[in-house]
Amino acid sequence: MPSTDGEWPSDTELLRRHVAGDSDAFGELFRRHRDRLWAVALRTVCDPEEAADALQDAMISAFRRAADFRGDSAVTTWLHRIVVNASLDRLRRRAVRPVASAGDEEALEALLAHDQDPARAADTRLDIDAALRILPPPQRAALVVVDMLGYSVDDAAAILDTSPGTVKSRCARARARLLPYVAHLRGNRSATERVSPAQGGDA
Amino acid sequence: MNELKGNMTHPDSEVLAEFRAGLIAGRHGARISAHLAACERCAGLCDQLTEISALLAAVPATAMPEAVAHRLDGVLAAEAAHRDDAERAVGDSSRDRAPSPRPRRRWDFRLVALRVLAPAAAVAVLAAGGYGLSRIGGSSTASEASGTAASSPATAPLPQARAAVPSSAATSRPVAIPAHYSLQIVTSQTNYLRATLRQQLAREMKRYAEGVAGPPRPASAQVKGCVLRVIKDTRPVIVELVETARFQGQPAIVIVAASGRHDVAWVTTSTCSDSSDHVLAMTTLPGTYAP
Repeated sequence: MPSTDGEWPSDTELLRRHVAGDSDAFGELFRRHRDRLWAVALRTVCDPEEAADALQDAMISAFRRAADFRGDSAVTTWLHRIVVNASLDRLRRRAVRPVASAGDEEALEALLAHDQDPARAADTRLDIDAALRILPPPQRAALVVVDMLGYSVDDAAAILDTSPGTVKSRCARARARLLPYVAHLRGNRSATERVSPAQGGDA
Repeated sequence: MNELKGNMTHPDSEVLAEFRAGLIAGRHGARISAHLAACERCAGLCDQLTEISALLAAVPATAMPEAVAHRLDGVLAAEAAHRDDAERAVGDSSRDRAPSPRPRRRWDFRLVALRVLAPAAAVAVLAAGGYGLSRIGGSSTASEASGTAASSPATAPLPQARAAVPSSAATSRPVAIPAHYSLQIVTSQTNYLRATLRQQLAREMKRYAEGVAGPPRPASAQVKGCVLRVIKDTRPVIVELVETARFQGQPAIVIVAASGRHDVAWVTTSTCSDSSDHVLAMTTLPGTYAP
């Protein structure tokens, strides 16, 4: 990631140049951050094609609305927010199609069933993407921004356009939901040595 | 509060996760704290919650696939070109010049002009609905057009190309591109290299402007599909050049299109079609039509 001093124009400077009519400034800004923006879109919508479409919607929107940027957050925060919104929009628009298909759910159920059989539990490995798919989109977006991309809760709140408390609680619920699968997410060499996580409440 | 009765009942995992996130304070929080100190099972779950965060953080960052990067570069280049055009049109009219034959709204319609092989080729204009395909110009205009183009490729073909846009196009509906439009393709011996793509393309475009090019032949349906797919995210464009060549030694299709003030160039694999494209490289060039 380029620093914002010396010969590198800062993000804010690039955005200012873009608003002033510089044809290349926005493209430069995009190239600078595209991998992280891609990660946000991809993990939020869980589908590369949809992610590309969401990112395209987002970048066109950001390009056109750059003059509205008020500088009350970092440029990257603003860009991430637009990408998250575009991604959640995409998911809403296709909400008629279930995000996690019945097949996914069945596969996950089967995976949990294997936990009852320690000999087989070690064979199964759950893809992070498959795990993320079982989360409701707002929880997933929060977890992606905080745990995967490493943003602070406050920055995440700005990106997700909500309060820090809501970010914390979405992340907490998402982690709790993934808890039964942790052994599989780990890749699982020591799964059989671990206590099998039971659903809460048993005495 | 029912999930906690002293140390007798374990809090459920969601409560533990909320506690870890600092969302549960006060007496309730203190009781969970006390429970965790005494309960190996729940302490283990807390460890696993921490582990989930660590596992997610350890997922390697996914770089944006090159095809997506190129597509978005193209989209943004087209946005920039469109904005430049719009601003110039505003500038023109505010300075009260002669009425521009180039209405500002031109790019607002998906009017696709396919103009292949620079000035020597016929200009095929696709407009909405009723227009279908109309050919303007043709071989009889080739010599005069290429004459001016050779001396000043930056400006020469513009009036002709703009004149080719039917004046009533501005009132047309966005176009559905018919399948039967004509598109020419040429074969080039050039082996484009990533590092020198821009320079090579600039040279190639100059060669075409000067009429030094291999004989054009009608493009196959596959290539037409490829071109339409590749340009679809770019604002209405004039396709200037489609050629088969090589890129980094591999067979490739090169597409150059004018969009606003810029030319946008794509290099795709030779298998590119209307259903799949793999853009290997994409760049912008100073527009052939730039004023």
